[in-house]
Amino acid sequence: MVDLEASAPLSPIDPPAAKSRSSRRSIGVILVLIALVVLLLSQGLLSSLNYFETVDQALAQRGSLGTKVLRLEGVVEPGTIVRTNAGAAFTLTGSGDHHVFVTAHGSPPQLFQANIPVVVVGHFVSSTSAYFVGSQIMVKHTSSYIAAHPNRVRAPNGTSR
Amino acid sequence: MIKLSQRLLGPVTLVSLALTFWLGLWVTPPDVVQGDLVRLLYVHPPIAWVALYVSFGTATIASCLYLWPRTRSDVMDRVAYCAMEISVVFIALTLITGSIWGRPTWGVWWAWDARLTSTAILGVFALAYLALRRANDDPAVRARRSGVFAILTAINVPIIHFSVQWWKTLHQGASVLTSNGTLNVHGSMLWTMLLGFIGFTLLFFWLLRYRYRLEVKRDFVVATTVDEALALRRREGV
Repeated sequence: MVDLEASAPLSPIDPPAAKSRSSRRSIGVILVLIALVVLLLSQGLLSSLNYFETVDQALAQRGSLGTKVLRLEGVVEPGTIVRTNAGAAFTLTGSGDHHVFVTAHGSPPQLFQANIPVVVVGHFVSSTSAYFVGSQIMVKHTSSYIAAHPNRVRAPNGTSR
Repeated sequence: MIKLSQRLLGPVTLVSLALTFWLGLWVTPPDVVQGDLVRLLYVHPPIAWVALYVSFGTATIASCLYLWPRTRSDVMDRVAYCAMEISVVFIALTLITGSIWGRPTWGVWWAWDARLTSTAILGVFALAYLALRRANDDPAVRARRSGVFAILTAINVPIIHFSVQWWKTLHQGASVLTSNGTLNVHGSMLWTMLLGFIGFTLLFFWLLRYRYRLEVKRDFVVATTVDEALALRRREGV
């Protein structure tokens, strides 16, 4: 007859300590992730649901904007780009007949060219000025993808053959 | 038939991806504005498609099926878990390929616009899902909690999709799934991109298949180990 109580240590291995440590660690990770989501929301979505102001909007709100830093969007007017040692100077046009004269510092992106939409980070010189000083140029390309045909001949009427 | 399709999944995936890369790198023409940078079109949108709609969608649907009492099974829970794990990889690839494309085109690696930020948040949600699964050892509780979490976080997917329409973003609008149904990609570029969509979708299902098998084996090993440990304790006790 074996005395189970005396001969065998039947008390189970005690896993809860490790388990609760693991759970605490996982909860900690979740809390860090929640904090990350809040940070991303505050950095991205809440502060800039609209990433930029168009030329028309910015000129309309110029008085209230003053010299506050903003992102300005418009299309680069052909024939206005002047490359400078510091960066580039050009004119941005809006949907109407509105123009903003931009002087931007830093090298423009690879795709920067005439007739392309860009977003410039910077500020107006004053609350009444149409001159804008930029610190960064970003190209906002369209969602259209068209094959380049360098060998095509352009007819006098503008069509390509 | 099912076995044949399972056998063919790997080779068909490989062929479609190889064809996408060949067409994308050597056959398709450069873009009129972006030049050769457009070749990322055959990689980035298909990867984003898999990250957002295919893998996160599979995880959400499988979670719904698990939570619905009539269709509740361990299979659905495993599918949801495996799909979410693959989703993390594809979301990371979406952000990486997007950054690589954004630097020469936009001029910046990252922009805090609504599309990019909401995609990053989806990545954090997917990581949180995986962390949540580790927070509880009870399989039923774990499956229920993570299922609810997956469904709640899936609300972010339509926000990401429509962000470029709802708000002004640096990220361009849709090229294929446009609101008016027009296609903004032309000729061979379109077909190559669509082939990329097929190739990466097949890659997801191929990965899911093998990840699911691994999960079944892992569950078996865990169950066997526990059973063996209990048997050992009983033997020691007698």
